Amino acid sequence: MKPMLSTDLNVADTTVEKAKIEVKNLNFYYGQSKALKDINLSLPERSVTAFIGPSGCGKSTLLRVLNRIYELYPKQSAEGQVLLDGKNILDRSQDLNLLRTKIGMVFQKPTPFPMSIYENIAFGVRLYEKISKAEMDSRVESALKRAALWNEVKDKLNASGQSLSGGQQQRLCIARTVAVKPEVILLDEPASALDPLSTAKIEELIDELQADYTIVIVTHNMQQAARVSRQTAFMYLGELVEFDRTEKIFTSPREKRTQDYITGRFG
Amino acid sequence: MSAVSEAATSSAMRTREATVRRFAVTDMVFRAATRASAILVLVLLGGVAISLIAGSWEALSKFGISFLTTESWNPVTENFGALAPIYGTIVTSAIAIIIAVPIGIGIAVFLTELCPRPLRRPIGIAVELLAGIPSIIYGIWGLFVFAPFLQTTIQPFIIWLFKGIPGLNSLFAGPPYGIGLLTSSLILAIMVLPFITSITKDVFDTVPAVLKESAYGIGCTTWEVTRRVTIPYTRVGIMGGVMLGLGRALGETMAVTFVIGNAHRISASLFAPGTTISATIANEFTEADGNLYTSSLVSLGLILFIITFIILALARYMLLRIDSRTGA
Amino acid sequence: MSTAQSLHQSRKRKNAVMMALCVIAAGIGLAWLALILGALLYKGLSGVSLAVFTQMTPPPGDAGGLLNAIYGSIVMTIIGIVVGTPIGVLAGTYMAEYGRFSRLTTIVRFINDILLSAPSIIVGLFVYELLVRPMGHFSAIAGAIALSILVIPVVVRTTEDMLNLVPNALREAGTAIGAPRWVVIRSVAYRAALSGIVTGILLAIARISGETAPLLFTALNNQFWSSNLNAPMASLPVTIFQFALSPYEEWQQLAWTGALIITLTVLGLSIIARSLTGRREDR
Repeated sequence: MKPMLSTDLNVADTTVEKAKIEVKNLNFYYGQSKALKDINLSLPERSVTAFIGPSGCGKSTLLRVLNRIYELYPKQSAEGQVLLDGKNILDRSQDLNLLRTKIGMVFQKPTPFPMSIYENIAFGVRLYEKISKAEMDSRVESALKRAALWNEVKDKLNASGQSLSGGQQQRLCIARTVAVKPEVILLDEPASALDPLSTAKIEELIDELQADYTIVIVTHNMQQAARVSRQTAFMYLGELVEFDRTEKIFTSPREKRTQDYITGRFG
Repeated sequence: MSAVSEAATSSAMRTREATVRRFAVTDMVFRAATRASAILVLVLLGGVAISLIAGSWEALSKFGISFLTTESWNPVTENFGALAPIYGTIVTSAIAIIIAVPIGIGIAVFLTELCPRPLRRPIGIAVELLAGIPSIIYGIWGLFVFAPFLQTTIQPFIIWLFKGIPGLNSLFAGPPYGIGLLTSSLILAIMVLPFITSITKDVFDTVPAVLKESAYGIGCTTWEVTRRVTIPYTRVGIMGGVMLGLGRALGETMAVTFVIGNAHRISASLFAPGTTISATIANEFTEADGNLYTSSLVSLGLILFIITFIILALARYMLLRIDSRTGA
Repeated sequence: MSTAQSLHQSRKRKNAVMMALCVIAAGIGLAWLALILGALLYKGLSGVSLAVFTQMTPPPGDAGGLLNAIYGSIVMTIIGIVVGTPIGVLAGTYMAEYGRFSRLTTIVRFINDILLSAPSIIVGLFVYELLVRPMGHFSAIAGAIALSILVIPVVVRTTEDMLNLVPNALREAGTAIGAPRWVVIRSVAYRAALSGIVTGILLAIARISGETAPLLFTALNNQFWSSNLNAPMASLPVTIFQFALSPYEEWQQLAWTGALIITLTVLGLSIIARSLTGRREDR
């Protein structure tokens, strides 16, 4: 097996940080076609990692392996290992719902549930915790504050989640994810459907959240990756081309393909 | 992380694990319930088939294939044949379809090409409401309003018109009862019209706009676009709609029972009373005494079931082909 | 040049003729609706009185009302809906959720579509063989079961269609928060598809409230008040059938009035159902 040069270097660079998620020899298939080819990388705890690359490169697919959301659909399969705190989550004995309480996800388009703002957040909390109304109130409040949405919605918690603006909806989704106290948050192009102002708010939020959570963000926007992440993985045609500290990727990438992509020669 | 919070986290983890196990059980139960319900749909159709076969066994084993070819239907001598109702069913449905198809397509063309936009929705809804009116309403209207009208005006005129023309004079031979095969056909035509219209309209909407626009672009008239582009493109779907309408007409019971006249004979004249499979069952089932009589009626039901099943299966198959094309 | 012009003229003329025919066709379609509704209103309204809703169906030649028939229709319709709806919703849920990609779903969809348009008199025969013959007598419960069998395919179809319209992103979001599939279905998918599913149920009510054929030899008829589900029960459609074909004028009048009641009910339900989801037109 061909060793992944970049990963080896990365390990040297981030030895001080504990790896939260380690991906080892991961292959992914849509039916017969191979969408991820022998991916190896490790995501350090409490830090933001960005996956970049042209569309169809497999960055979203990789993200969707991390909480096994791909299992909603038939004919999609992963082989290899994904270790969360050293435990392989691709193992058949892994309970999927439990996994997803530990690894939350925010999607490209805001997906508020068809219920009130309050219920959008309480819904996930109530699934696994029996807490009093007062506790729930404070849980909702702190989640909304965490997502910098509290001031905008505190007077209309019973309004439908779908009545909010796009940017607000996305922050509601982040609040909803944070409320169930995950350890890892996956963000799948969270700002691509938003205006620049809302995007800035989301990015600010990501920056704050990394104090407590391990964050993985998929983005097609290289400036965004440069702004929010500490590590960046560049993917191309299902392969992990290069993975390193973000400033290194954007200033002195080792691979020519990375260089070509970040300078806008393709993608 | 401190030891205290480690312990708290791990106890929270344990509660979560218990919850997850409970979830898994509920999910399994719910999944099984939905799956069982889906299978029940299959069981229902299977049950219909099995019960009809079982119920018709006595008559079919006694009469054999001659059940299909015998016209006689005599409860007194217990001699039963299905030919007259089969004939009536097929003739009334066929005439209904022949009348309803051109009108239905015409309305669909009107709705997609000609109708002013603000009127489209109300007219479309009105046509579909026609489909929702229960068949017994058509029956009572046919019996009290439509049949007397035919009897006093249209039928005498047609009889007079074709009096001297061989063939037609026996097809439209008097006396004008009002009720009969043709009246049933007309009522059925009115009943299947909305089905054919709404499906035709739906499949017309699947024609890509660019296709029609390019035909208009080379100077085609509306009729030429319809005739040369829209209809050929949607032919399979229209056929599906027609078959669906045919399925309805074949099985339609109440409206026909009111106006067909319930006569177990095959007449050359369309003005003569006749019967259909469903009208015979509706009229005679509760009064049938003797197992053979009941079993013969169930046999009629089985024949109707087989005919409509084939027609409806073909209809669905054709509509499926249109769907998969637009889906792709 | 002149040939081209005359060709053009004849094409234009042909177009005008065909388009005129289409307009006439639409006119015919609407005229039927108007004629039928007009006759119903004219004949039915004249018989509407308080007695219709307060008195039992009369013996031949007497005056009376339709109370027992209306009651029977309502009872059997409610039971039919209560029995048929859960099964239909669950089956539709399997097809759109758990079994969306399975072979079983393809088969069930095909069979369900056939059940949807199968002659209702066949369903009557089926329930006769299934319940009436073994029980030895006609009963309201048999009638209600026959109606529920007509409800199921309507509800299956709309439930599946409406759940399929719920964006997958919403399901993924529910799943991603750690909710098991059944919670996602209950709290997210059902909620998002609610108005559509209710529409399906209303359409099912509209369909069965006018059904006659499946009741003829299951619930039969009953000239008197009966709330016993294990005995024959009157219903509006069967009463209309019996009264309209009778030679008695009072009965015929009651038949017309009953027909008006059913039609208004059915049209009302269809219109409410349509306004809940303005989906059929203008796509």
